[in-house]
Amino acid sequence: MLKLNFKIALRNLWRNRTSSIINIGGLAIGLSSCLLLLLYAGYEYGYDKQFRDSGNVYQAMVNAYDESGNVANTHGFTQNVLASALQAELAGLSEVARTTEAYKRLVTYQGNNMKLDNRYADPAFLKVFDYQYISGNPEKALSDPNSIILTESAAKRLFGTADVLNRAVKFENQVDLKVTAVIKNLPANVSYPFETLVPWTIYEQLNNWVARMNWGNHEFFTLLVLNKEVDADQVNLKLKGMVNKYLPNAKEDIFIYPLKRLHLYGDFVNGKSSGGKIKQVQVFVGLAIGILLIACINFMNLATAHSQKRAKEIGIKKTIGATKASLVFQFMLESMILTTISILISIAAVEVSLPWFNHLLDIQITIDYTNPLNWIILGAVLVLTGFAAGSYPAFYLSGFNPVQALKKTLNFKRGYVLNLRQLLVIFQFSFAIVLIASTITIYKQLQFIKDRPLGYQEKALIEITHEGLLYERYDLLKDKLLADGAVVGVTQLSGSLTNRNGTIRDLKWEGMSAADRLIDFDQIYTTYDFIKTTGVTLLAGRDFNKKFASDTAGILLSKKAVAMMGLKNPIGSKIVNQGVVRTVLGVFNDLVWGDRTKFEVPMVITFTDGISEDITMRLNPQKSITESTAAIQRIVHELNPDFPVDIRFLDNLNEEKLKNEVTLAKLSNVFGGLAIFISCLGLFGLSAFSIEQRTKEIGVRKVLGASIGELTTLLSINFLKLVLTAIVIAMPVAYILMDHWLQNFDVKTSLSWWIFLFTGGFTLFIALVTVSWQTYAAARANPVKALKYE
Amino acid sequence: MIKLENIEKYYANKGVKSYILRHVSTTINQGEFVSVMGPSGAGKSTLLNILGMLEEPTYGTYEFMGEDVTSLNERKRIELYRNHIGFVFQAYHLIDEMTVAENIEAPLLYKKIGGAERKSRVADMLDRFNIVGKKDLFPNQLSGGQQQLVGIARALAAQPSIILADEPTGNLQSAQALQIMELFKKLNKEEGITIIQVTHSELNATYGSRILHLLDGVIKEDLKV
Repeated sequence: MLKLNFKIALRNLWRNRTSSIINIGGLAIGLSSCLLLLLYAGYEYGYDKQFRDSGNVYQAMVNAYDESGNVANTHGFTQNVLASALQAELAGLSEVARTTEAYKRLVTYQGNNMKLDNRYADPAFLKVFDYQYISGNPEKALSDPNSIILTESAAKRLFGTADVLNRAVKFENQVDLKVTAVIKNLPANVSYPFETLVPWTIYEQLNNWVARMNWGNHEFFTLLVLNKEVDADQVNLKLKGMVNKYLPNAKEDIFIYPLKRLHLYGDFVNGKSSGGKIKQVQVFVGLAIGILLIACINFMNLATAHSQKRAKEIGIKKTIGATKASLVFQFMLESMILTTISILISIAAVEVSLPWFNHLLDIQITIDYTNPLNWIILGAVLVLTGFAAGSYPAFYLSGFNPVQALKKTLNFKRGYVLNLRQLLVIFQFSFAIVLIASTITIYKQLQFIKDRPLGYQEKALIEITHEGLLYERYDLLKDKLLADGAVVGVTQLSGSLTNRNGTIRDLKWEGMSAADRLIDFDQIYTTYDFIKTTGVTLLAGRDFNKKFASDTAGILLSKKAVAMMGLKNPIGSKIVNQGVVRTVLGVFNDLVWGDRTKFEVPMVITFTDGISEDITMRLNPQKSITESTAAIQRIVHELNPDFPVDIRFLDNLNEEKLKNEVTLAKLSNVFGGLAIFISCLGLFGLSAFSIEQRTKEIGVRKVLGASIGELTTLLSINFLKLVLTAIVIAMPVAYILMDHWLQNFDVKTSLSWWIFLFTGGFTLFIALVTVSWQTYAAARANPVKALKYE
Repeated sequence: MIKLENIEKYYANKGVKSYILRHVSTTINQGEFVSVMGPSGAGKSTLLNILGMLEEPTYGTYEFMGEDVTSLNERKRIELYRNHIGFVFQAYHLIDEMTVAENIEAPLLYKKIGGAERKSRVADMLDRFNIVGKKDLFPNQLSGGQQQLVGIARALAAQPSIILADEPTGNLQSAQALQIMELFKKLNKEEGITIIQVTHSELNATYGSRILHLLDGVIKEDLKV
């Protein structure tokens, strides 16, 4: 029986090729989208959950308070002394370890220089995360003061092999370290990735200030493992007020937060978790389900549309002894076969599109075919899809009365069934329209942000890291670069112009009010030629200039800073910044430092030599970029031979900043396109069917004198009505969704009427083309053929 | 075998009853070959549908093999279809997606007959109706007469005790019709299968043992041939 049903199902598929292709194609597209997005969601959900103790790992977090005692912000940067304090204060703490941000550090092996992402960490870090060791002893790997742990790929790049235990490398050109362990490459979805791991003691040895006990400096991450029976909430109650014991006037509290939640629920409002990346993941999962659903709708619609064809078969089977259950089973089997074919196609499609998808989202997903969980999920998707797509037709068709089915007097409950089919089509198109309108809005916002003036000239502006011998040879470097003619301006900055990384409060000036003490100013430290190099617009005054010795105590203010400070004549006025009295030399137009979607904040540019992270340069517009960069490479390498030279273009760095929005735009573009495509496939199938049913009517009308135009309209109008209804329903939904999304940005575009007009017109046009493709052909056909039909 | 008592069938439309069958009472015994005749709209097909339990009478009782089947639940009805009743239709009603052999095999599958037994019964049927060479063809590759032969073979495969045939030769040319009628007669005579057929043709009716004349839903005449 099963074999026969199987054979018949395949014959049916073959016989109705057009609708089979529409069904399988639509389902395969829907399933591929769904699987891709589910893989992505799984990737995000899997963050930091790969380790044995993942459930008990917590990160120490800081709630920083403002004057009135409200939480001003919540972050994970903690003090260097916190770990030992926690160990002293908390019972039930099994491990605690500090680590740093991952920075590129110079690692050398036999003249092979390489910058690798390095973290410094306490030995207990290896207890918090049980990595997979290729060689080395996890108990001792970080205990030896001169040890270094490498990942497999880092070892291979540096040594050419992973079998490198006990080999010596030079670190930051300063210390000799011995490889004490090589670990398998970390999964991409961990919050603390690295290529090399070096003991904290080396960090202290290389940087004196790190070793000093300091409750004021928030720089590091503190990770801890609680014993299973310990309740995190109880711990947090205990931690309240702890910092004040050590630093009486501290305005902060420490709390612990589960690490496995941090990635997805990393946003905090008033010190309470308020979501985070989970929102994006939820949007994607919703998208996955939505697209799969509209593909299933195609299936249901086409299956019920073809019910008349199958009515006879059902009638016969009932008279020769088929039960309703066996018919339901047969139709479900057909649906499952179709879904299985689709899922096989979609697995191939996912494999093919995965590199593109990974590139798009900048993630690293691979399909693990050996993981039984993946197969279970795939099986669940298969069964659910097959059931969702097949259940309605199965129960609907198998309920036919045999006499009516055979006598062709079957009453197809016209109103009811057609209404359901109409509703489904309306649902499909509404979904697609919301996606299209969203896509356009997201692109418009993206363009709006991109077009926003930065306040400096990002083109032809480059930066390199200030490191090694470049500190003592900065002036020499500047002279050489300018003499060569590769650049026309050089300055040093305390942080990249593209990355907001320093604020200051407690500035003092004449005429300030008490509350002004709490204004946060963005601050960059620099030396000479700041304006000249960056191309920031000067509104009044001048740049820092070597000719004036007193400029070393100078400061520049942004327009907004001047306004907020209430300075009438800013030039020449005195400002006390961290105890130093400084003279305002110039006022510059506000610039975007970091996030382009945020409003400008007041900003000061302070002259200070020695606090510099980046050397920023303006390329000579007279020379080609390749020529200039080659010259810079050469000169910098001459002066600082031990460090590879990494030239970064600021326009590229700024581009990177918009990655999230670009990703969202691309995704909604792709999946919006797919949604409208699947919906149109369904419409195509339905209109083909409707025309087939109305062949005789078309013939009669033609004989009675209807024109091709009239017939095309007659046949198309019903479908266009559905699309119009969908437009009416979808527009407000799209408006509300996009209005909500735009609230994320300070700087936002408007939701123009043309977006909706265009979306509506576009959808209607596509639907019209889809439908009239067939209606026109049907209307043109010879009426004799149509009338012979019966 | 069949006992109808006071069977009535009507449709009520806006309070007006339009009768299809009125006061139909009759008994049909095992081994009879009954032809139901009458003009269009006399209620012949409805009577056959009621006999086949495809429709329920509005009123009256129907006993099939000594059991009241006037309103039978679906499970029991299907049980009867599987074991006792074979249908033959005017439009043949073969399943288009199945080959000749598969069409004949289909009722045996529903009857849950074992594979070997099925094979032999299908082979037997193909042999008996001289359609072995056509067993892998699909219905649309056969002539009308051939299709009807397959239809009868399918009805017989389940070894029913009664065959209900609704104008079995209505779509056929006379030579083919003759062949089918000879077949019915033979089945009736040699295997004792009860046959009830609806027909327009006087000639066809002569093959049977009894004729029921229907007019406006009433049995006008009950003739032994």
